[in-house]
Formats: sequence, structure tokens, C-alpha cells
Amino acid sequence: MSNNMVAMILAGGRGTRLLDLTAKVAKPAVRFGGKYRIIDFPLSNCANSDISTVGVLTQYESVLLNSYVSRDHYWGLNTNDGGVFVLPPREKASSDFNVYKGTADAITQNIDFLDNLNPEYVLVLSGDHIYKMDYGKMLDYHKEHNADITIAVLEVTLKEASRFGIMNTDENNRVYEFEEKPAKPKSRLASMGIYIFTYKTLRKYLMADAKLKDSSHDFGKDIIPAYLNDKKCLMAYPFRGYWKDVGTVDSLWEANMELLREDSPLDLSDQNWKIYTENTNSLPQYIGEEATVCNCFIPQGSVVLGNLRNSVIGTRVRIEENAVLDNCVVMAGAVIGAGAKVTRCLIAENVHVKPGVVLGDKNSEHITLITDKNAGGEK
Amino acid sequence: MKALGIVNFEDSTASIDGLGDFRPVPAVSFMGRYRIIDFILSNFTNSGIDHVQVFCKEKPRNLIEHLGSGSYYNINSKRGSLRILYGEKPFSSPVYNNDVANFLLNMQYIEADPNPYVILAPSYFVYSLDFNDVLDEHISSGADVTVLYTATRDAKSKFLGCDVLTVDKDKRITAFGKNHGNFKTRNISMEAYVMTKKMLISLCNKAADASSLYWFKDIMADLCGTMNFRGYNVHTPVICLNSLAEYYQASMRLRDYNAAGELFRPEWPVYTQTNDSCPTRIAETAAVRESAIADGCVIKGTVDGCVLGRNVIIEEGAVVRDSVILADAVIGEDTHLDHAIVDKYATVERVRRLEGTDAQPIYVRRRDRI
Repeated sequence: MSNNMVAMILAGGRGTRLLDLTAKVAKPAVRFGGKYRIIDFPLSNCANSDISTVGVLTQYESVLLNSYVSRDHYWGLNTNDGGVFVLPPREKASSDFNVYKGTADAITQNIDFLDNLNPEYVLVLSGDHIYKMDYGKMLDYHKEHNADITIAVLEVTLKEASRFGIMNTDENNRVYEFEEKPAKPKSRLASMGIYIFTYKTLRKYLMADAKLKDSSHDFGKDIIPAYLNDKKCLMAYPFRGYWKDVGTVDSLWEANMELLREDSPLDLSDQNWKIYTENTNSLPQYIGEEATVCNCFIPQGSVVLGNLRNSVIGTRVRIEENAVLDNCVVMAGAVIGAGAKVTRCLIAENVHVKPGVVLGDKNSEHITLITDKNAGGEK
Repeated sequence: MKALGIVNFEDSTASIDGLGDFRPVPAVSFMGRYRIIDFILSNFTNSGIDHVQVFCKEKPRNLIEHLGSGSYYNINSKRGSLRILYGEKPFSSPVYNNDVANFLLNMQYIEADPNPYVILAPSYFVYSLDFNDVLDEHISSGADVTVLYTATRDAKSKFLGCDVLTVDKDKRITAFGKNHGNFKTRNISMEAYVMTKKMLISLCNKAADASSLYWFKDIMADLCGTMNFRGYNVHTPVICLNSLAEYYQASMRLRDYNAAGELFRPEWPVYTQTNDSCPTRIAETAAVRESAIADGCVIKGTVDGCVLGRNVIIEEGAVVRDSVILADAVIGEDTHLDHAIVDKYATVERVRRLEGTDAQPIYVRRRDRI
């Protein structure tokens, strides 16, 4: 089923505030919720919303991300007339090799890709947010209001509002003003970085913006203000539900921990809106004879021989005998050595925590990130 | 690899009571996230076989759904092929529905396959084996047929009803017999045969000439005196899932991580269809130990020594010990299960206590509410 909308996922960012978690992979490829990567969420949302063609714009540390998303069968997107298309920056006959200078520039540089598909609508998404959303309903809203752009918005607190792009709207949800991280916000409607554009109009604005020398070629800073300037119809699409920009180690840890709640706002067990991911061909999870497990989220392929409390465990993780983990998030492939005691930590992918070490602190203000550098404990 | 892989169906000596009523043995769930057929198919494709035919005695829907185009098993979607074959003509009596009759009915597909060799094996023997080694030995030995076997010391209690091989010092098979459980040590035929395709066709014709009721193993037994049949001793563990008790006991052994390592080797993955269930949630009220658990479960009660399939729910206060719970089953509050096998989608809520034994685990039927 085709709805004549192509999704373009912006997945080029590093996510600097995730520190060493993104030293070797882009933020969209960071692990989440035991068996997923962050980009599984927008890709599964696309698949569940009947979008058949998805372009993924990658830039920072793109090798792993490119090879991951190009395996479109993970999300059932390997259809005859659709698929996932990886779009990193490239060299062109008309210009030297150019990195993507901004979110809008990333789309402009791939305008040939869109022209070939000639869609009626383009959905622009960020590859590093965690949420479940039916883009089909948002498209209905876009058509219903005959909008030029529809922007998904989330109601945040006034305090939070100064961290977001804020939409000031009239009583019909029509946007009259956009403010990027306002010091004194006039509205609590934060942009979620999810846009539906009518392609014909978007193309014109992108082409015009590309010619501007002093533009930062960014949707929020340049394209949307240009539309507003011309009194185009911009609609805010209010979204209710779970949405998280897991930008820091603390917020990533917290979002993982929320999965432990019985009434978890991000219900991953919904059979009608599954989040799809890689098939790892792993064994079922094994819980050992001496293990104790309480309040945990554990995927197939992990082996638990030690003691776990309030923790989210990744695929292929091994918790050795007598290890004690409390309030931890353990990413795929990590090994926790025998007798190690780890509290309030986020353990990065494939890290081996040495046997017997003590890591983290139950009263710490921030979550301790464990990487190869500090997995051996205090020296 | 130069061989066509054929997954044969089992005869009446292998039947998993209860579970087998709803689907053929190859499609029975095993170890939480697998079906029994996944193991032989993974052996085939890991060995480089990408032409596979799965023969199905009856009820093919389940297998068709599970196997799909074979992409889960790493079969190349263009060069390779995974075919599900069954007798498309009705048999005048179920006794005529044997493997040889099905091979003959589908002979055009066997003949059309470009590979000169055939590996014929049933799915209910579960093991981890590289067939390249077997084919190499078959070719260099000059045997007409090479038969895989496992030398067991448990023949009194396991492999009952299986074929027994008498093998001389040159590995030549001199006689076929049946395991009636009278002896401890026996060479059990794994009913896996390696031969040229020509030999398979010729043996099928000979079987049909001898008797319309002959299975492939019957003609093997008849001809072993006159032809060169050789044994290939498989030294790694071999599990034979030919009864509900065997199925149960194998599940109980493989719930232990170290025992499972014999069957699941890192360099020899077992493939299966993915279901995209989320990770399993083990709640604060839960106590879980010594178990193998698939994704998507919610555990609030006690799980001790179990194998849980996908999306199983164990409610608060439930105590489940030494049991196998298949996908989507619900074990209600304050119920006690011991030595039970609960089939898919079943709900246990009214019954407070169910206790089976090693030899006779309690079976709760598919979709039952008790």
C-alpha cells in the first residue's frame, strides 16, 4: 500500500553529549531497550504507517549505520517498489565532495533522489528519537488542513520549553511564529523534529535556500521562517504519548529504566505496533542456577549467572557468577565479570567489566558511563 | 556443496503425543523460540546446502508459514531454493502415505535438481553437524549409502523404536534392527542418509517394487546384505524427539546453559523466524532461576527450571517448576505447575495444581482453558 509519501530520516548527527557512547557510532545506532537501536523506532514507525520508501541521511561514523539500515528486511521494508535507501554525502560532477551543512542541505543534496520518486509528500524525521507514532494519521491531518508543512508538536512544561524549538499557534493550531530555544517561551508546543512537507512547495524553498550565502540551511532556522514569511500554511500536529530525545547519558539511562514499569509509557509489547529490529539468531536467554533476577528487562541471547536488580540488559550480555548489578543499563555484548558490583551505571556495548571490581555509586548525581577506559575500576 | 538436502518426515515410531496432534513434528516448538525443523535446516545451510526440499506428510500450513521462502535460514533467494513438498493426490489409505510414495510422486523435482548428491534426514533427530565432513567421507569410502548413527549407552531408555545398526570393523553396515530397549549400548541410526541422487531414485524404485507400504528405511534394511552401506559415527550429542517424554526430558536438559552449549555452537547458529517480540520483563515479585526464556514474556511469579516460549505470561503467585510453556500461554495467579507441558495459547487459571512426572509430564492442550 502506498500513500505517496517518502520518509527522509536525518541520521547524520553524532550526539556529542552521549560522550564515548558515540565515539565510534552515530547516535541513531546507539543501543536502546535491550535489543534495539534508536533508529529502529523511526524505521518501525515508517513500516507500521505503511510508508514503503525511506531514505536515511547519514554522515558521522556512518559505516555501521549504513550497513544496518540497508538491511531493510529487518523492518519488512524490502518490498518491490520500496526499501531503505542509504544517502551519505557524495562527490558530484558539478561540485566537490560536500558534507551536509544543515538539515535542509542534506535533503537538497539528495533532491535528485526525491525527484526520481516524485512523491506528493515528504516526511522528514530525526533518527535519534524514541517514540511510537502513526505518520499516516499525521498525513491525513496535513491533507485535511491543506497545509504546506505540518509539524508534530509535544506539550512540554514552560521550564523545558526553552530547550526546544517552540511553535506559537492560533486557536486552530495554525503556526504564526517559530522560536528556536526561546528564553521567554510564549507557548508550550515543542517541535518534535517531525515534518510533513508538500513536496512541490518544499522543492522550491530548498532550491531558493541553497542559493543563499548566509543561510545555515537548517529547517528550523531557515526553511520554516521562510515559509512563515510568505504566510504559507503551517499546521501544528499535537502528539500525545511518549517521546524522548535521549541526548545525554542520564536521559538514555532513564528512558531505559522506564521500560521496567508495568505501566511503561512506551509499551514495547503492543502487538499492533511492534518495534522491529535485527534478527540476531541468538539463543533464548538463560538464567542460571544461582542467579537472582528482580525487576529486569532481558532479551534473548543474554546469559545471567549473577544477581540482577532494576536493570535493563542487552542482547548477548553475560553476567557472570556472583556479579551484582543494581539500577544498571547494560548494552549488547557486554560482559560483567564474576563478583563485580555495579550500581547506577550505563555499561557501553562490548565492554568487559573486570571480575571483582566495584563501579558506580547509588547516591551519585549522574549515571556513571562505563567504557573500556574505566571498566577495570579505580586504579 | 554439491548436495540436495531433503528433510524427510517421520514414521509412526516418532510421535509427540498432544503437541503432535496440532502440527507435524517438524513444526513443534522447541527450546522457546525454535521449531524442531530449524535444527536440521540450519545444519544444511551452515554446511553450504542451498537447495532444500522439505517433505511433509500432512498439515503443511504450519510449515509453510514457518519456513517462508527460506531467507531466515540464509538460503539465497535467487540461486537457492526451499521447497515444501507433499503428496498432492489423496492416498487411498493412510498406510500408503509413506516417504517413498511421496518421493515418487514428487520425483520430477528431485530429478530436476542439479546437485549430484543427496542428504536425506528427518527433523526429529536434533544435533549440530557439518555435512561436508560426511559427504567427503562418503565419497572417499565408495559406499553406496552412508548412514549417520550415534553410539549410545542409553538405549534402554532412549531412542526406543529407532533403527539399530550392526557395523563391522570397516564401518560396513551388516544388519538393521530395532531398538526395543533390551540393551544398553547400541548404534542408533539417525535415519540420515548420504548418497548420489541416482542411488536415491534407484532405491525408491526398488522400495516401491518390493512393497507399496515400504518406507525408505525398510529397503535399506532389505538391501544391506547385498549393497555397500556404511556407518558414519556422529560423536557429538544427538537428541531424538520421538515421544512427549523425550521432548520433555530434552527440554529439561537444555534449559541448562552448559548443556545447551553442545547443541548451540557460536560458529554454527540455529536459524529461525523472528517474531519481533520485545525483551522479557521480569517483575519485582518474580523469582526466576535455571531457565531458558524466549522474548516477550512477562514474569511475575516463580519460574524454576523451565523453558518458556515467546510472550508467555506468568502471573503473580504462580509457581512453575520443571515445565515447558509454549508461546502465548498464560499461567494464572496462584497456580502451581510441576512437570507440565502447556501448549500454545492455553490458559491455566482455574486448576490450582498440576503435577506430572519425568516419564509422564502433564500435557495441557493448545488453546485450552483450564
